[in-house]
Amino acid sequence: MTGLSAADLQIKLARWLHITSAIWTMGLTALIFFDVTGRGLLSSPIPGTKEIIQNSVVCITFLQIPLAIYSGSMLRTTVFIDKLPPAGRKWLRIAVNLLGFFVFIGMVWATYPSYLDAYDIGEYEGEGALRVPTWPVRGLVLLMSGLTTLAYLTMIILDIRNKLIDGVEARGALDEASAHEGERETA
Amino acid sequence: MAGDVVLWMLALLIVLILLGTHIGIALAVCSAVGVWIMLGSMEAALSILSNTAYEAIRKDVFAVIPLFVLMGDFISRSGAAADLYRICDRTLKRLPGRLAIATIAGNTVFAAVTGVSIASAAAFSRIAYPEMKKVGYKQTFALGAVAGSACLGMLIPPSVLLIVWAILTEMSVGALFVAGIIPGILLAVLFAGYVIISAIMKPSIAPLLEQETAEATPAELRSELTGGIGILGLILLVIGGIWLGVFTPTEAAGFGALGALVIGILKGMRFKEIKQSLYQAGRTTAPIMFLLITAQMYSRLVALGGGVNYIQDLFLGAELSPLMITLIMMVIWILLGMLIDSVSIILLTVPIFAPLAMSIGLDPIAFAIFGILMIEAGLLTPPFGLLVYTVKGSVTDDTATLTKIFAGSVPYFLLIILAAVIVINIPELATWLPEVMLR
Repeated sequence: MTGLSAADLQIKLARWLHITSAIWTMGLTALIFFDVTGRGLLSSPIPGTKEIIQNSVVCITFLQIPLAIYSGSMLRTTVFIDKLPPAGRKWLRIAVNLLGFFVFIGMVWATYPSYLDAYDIGEYEGEGALRVPTWPVRGLVLLMSGLTTLAYLTMIILDIRNKLIDGVEARGALDEASAHEGERETA
Repeated sequence: MAGDVVLWMLALLIVLILLGTHIGIALAVCSAVGVWIMLGSMEAALSILSNTAYEAIRKDVFAVIPLFVLMGDFISRSGAAADLYRICDRTLKRLPGRLAIATIAGNTVFAAVTGVSIASAAAFSRIAYPEMKKVGYKQTFALGAVAGSACLGMLIPPSVLLIVWAILTEMSVGALFVAGIIPGILLAVLFAGYVIISAIMKPSIAPLLEQETAEATPAELRSELTGGIGILGLILLVIGGIWLGVFTPTEAAGFGALGALVIGILKGMRFKEIKQSLYQAGRTTAPIMFLLITAQMYSRLVALGGGVNYIQDLFLGAELSPLMITLIMMVIWILLGMLIDSVSIILLTVPIFAPLAMSIGLDPIAFAIFGILMIEAGLLTPPFGLLVYTVKGSVTDDTATLTKIFAGSVPYFLLIILAAVIVINIPELATWLPEVMLR
């Protein structure tokens, strides 16, 4: 039971991170709007818009990855896997998720030193008035890689326990408005 | 030796992808293993993973993907596609196969505000197919029109495929956008020509409908006016802005997403629908962005092993004629289209195909449009034709089987190939507008 509730907690977190990145994306549209209108009408663009957008793209992407895994949105082909009997399908899925798990462990392992370096030496990028420290974005990539590692692991555990919808989607990962409301009523 | 490693990793990549590995993960695994073998250092292999994760998408041009996807999702959810369909229906009057033509025309315009063909396929499956069915259109004919014309979404800007192609080949996103316009209209005209000719030759497949699909009540007309003017305004803002050089593509995407939100609110979207749009757009974006990161890991491996030259030498060394090389590329694209999604196909093939095409004297812009057409054609082919599955998942009609949708899509598949062949032979269709724009 404890394993399951830990999974629920992580999926909730993944959803929350996903919404954060969605709001962030809307924030970018506002930034672009004020930058362009400021430049056009008052000839005063917002300084550092380019740098903010650059770093935002990385953050938005990584914030969305855990939920992409829980909701089975990662791009793949099912041509071969569909031909297998259910048990074979399940073990192949587990093997495939293990690969994902290892890739992200590797990411954590290799990102950690570069994050520490960036923090210790106070690594900056950009020139002139707007110098952006690099450790926050590196730190976010590190943190999200860690959460993604957990996401792959959780998917494997849920799959072994036959808790996945169609073998690719964790319960509660999708925003099915009606299903969600139903949950709240029963809870 | 290094070239061999690249080839071995390419083989491993294909095996992993066929086994159903997340394509991004397969790319990352092959890059890391390849670098490890080549340099003999696990450290170097993993640092490629970490560096690329941080560096690969840290450019402001990459923001166009989340922003354009968001714009498309707002518009899809706003119900403006239905307005568009009914406007086209009202305008076309007594044309043979009117409802199918309205589907194609509606898709052409809708394509100019969405970046993914799946959005169009889903929208028009729900809007246009039931109308055609009600009037007694032949089922395969109606389903084919919906699935086939959704391909226009990827050719007419803004299009995620054009963006990814431009980023990979370091072309200007704006130029490639503009290049897609004339070929997109050409394709729409070919589609419409096919519908009219078949409807005239065999009137039973598309019975003439006397009245319009929606009665012209004041409320209906008001809705059509909001949707129609809204979409028109959005097209002018986004494509016009890029065309006139007012906006960079990133800025156009930002304004487009805001404009789409305004249209959505005017059409009655409220907090719940807006939240769903934001949510769904993220689900579409994240896997594409992750692929873009891992594809750059892979291209670092390929560069390290001199893979592009290696494969190019293979092709050129075999003394194949340019025509043969083009045909081989076409076949590879169609084969891959049966297995994996379009963005993955572009990421896997374009870094090798684009330099190859240039070495046999093809124009890079015309080649991009040619390639996107070929890859789109793959979306209509069994067993994995993505658009066909989208239509199947979106129509609420159990008699609309996959087989019928595939069968109905065959003419569209052939017309897309025809359009691709026309574009590669008359490159001006693609290059003329970008040249005029840059002048």
